[in-house]
Amino acid sequence: MSNKNKSSFTKEEELLLQDFSRNVSTKSSALFYGNAFIVSAIPIWLFWRIHMIDIYASLLSFIVVTFISTYMVALAYKNTKFVLKHKVAVKREEAVTREVSRKLSEDKKMSKKEKDERILWKKNEVADYEATTFSIFYNNALFLALVIFISFYVLKTFTPAVYPFYYKLYDSYIHIYIYIYIYIYIYIYNYIKGT
Amino acid sequence: MSALVRLAVFAVFLNFAASEGCTKPEITSVSYTTQDATIVTNIAFVSEFTFRCSGLPSDVPLYAEVGGSVFPAVHIGREKYQVSWTEEVGKARSGDYKVNVYDEEGYGNLRKAIRGNYEHTSPVEPLSTVIVNHPATYQGPWVNSEFMAAVLAALVWYLAFTAKSKLLL
Repeated sequence: MSNKNKSSFTKEEELLLQDFSRNVSTKSSALFYGNAFIVSAIPIWLFWRIHMIDIYASLLSFIVVTFISTYMVALAYKNTKFVLKHKVAVKREEAVTREVSRKLSEDKKMSKKEKDERILWKKNEVADYEATTFSIFYNNALFLALVIFISFYVLKTFTPAVYPFYYKLYDSYIHIYIYIYIYIYIYIYNYIKGT
Repeated sequence: MSALVRLAVFAVFLNFAASEGCTKPEITSVSYTTQDATIVTNIAFVSEFTFRCSGLPSDVPLYAEVGGSVFPAVHIGREKYQVSWTEEVGKARSGDYKVNVYDEEGYGNLRKAIRGNYEHTSPVEPLSTVIVNHPATYQGPWVNSEFMAAVLAALVWYLAFTAKSKLLL
C-alpha cells in the first residue's frame, strides 16, 4: 500500500517531501557521524592527560562511551539541522530566487515551472548546506564548553583536594559517569528542541 | 712551669696572629634561590663561596648572619663554604640579601652583641659580605588555564547561540 503510494508521487512532490523530512542524505550523514566521532573522542585527551585518568584501566569505558556519544551527538546534529533548515530556507529564499532568476533569464525556452523547480532545488541545497555546517558548529561549541566546564568545576567537588595523587579507580568512574551525563543531556536538549 | 709559660705565650701569639690577620679577604660566590613556588611552601636560599684570606689559616670555620639570624657556614671543600636557609613563600622578598661572613672571633663578638641587645649587629664588622640575589618567586599564573579554557569555550558557545537565535527569529 505504502509502496504504491510512494511510487505515485511526482518528482516535485518527492523533492518537497525530502525538503521537509527529518532524514538526511548519506553524504551529510557521513559528515555528521565523522564529526560526532572526532568531537566525542577529543575529551579523552582531557581526561587522560589533564585529569590523569589511567587510560588503560578504563579503556573499555572510554571506547563504549565514545561510541554512544558519537551516536548521540550525531542525533543532536540532525535535530538542530532539521529546525534550522526551514528557517534558513525562508531567510535565503529571496536572495536565491533573485540569483537563479538572473542566471536563467537568458534562457527563453525554459518554462516557468522548470524555473520554479530550479529555484526550489537551489534553495533546498543552500539551506541544507548552511544548516548542516551551522548545526555541527553549534553542537560542537555547546558540547566542548560543557565538557570543559563540568570536568573542571563540577568534578572538583567530587574528588579529593590534592590533585592528582589521590586519584583512585572510583574517581575515574565518576568522570565517566559525568561524561555519559553530558552526552545524554545534549541528546535530550537537542531532541526536545528538534521536535 | 717554663713550658707552661711558653705555651701561654705561644697561644697569645697565635691569637694575635689570627685577630690581626684577615685584612684583605678574597671571596667569590655563586647562589641559588627557589624561583618556582607553585608547589612548595618555603623558598630555599643557597650561597656557595670560596673564602681565602692571607692572614688566616685556610679552611677556618666560618659563620654567616642573614637578617638577624646566625648559623655556621658548612665547609664543603678546600676553601669552599656553603650557607643555606629557607623562608616562607609569603615572607620572602625579592632583591639582594646580604650574607655577612664572620670567623670564630667575629662570631663570638656577634653573639655577645646579640645577647647584650645591641642595636642589631652593626657594631661587629664582618670579615666579608656575600650578596644573594633573589629575583622573584613565581606563584602560578594570574588566571588558571582551566578557567581560561572554560571562558573561551563559553564565549564560542555564546557566539554560536546568538547566531542561532538570529537564524531562528
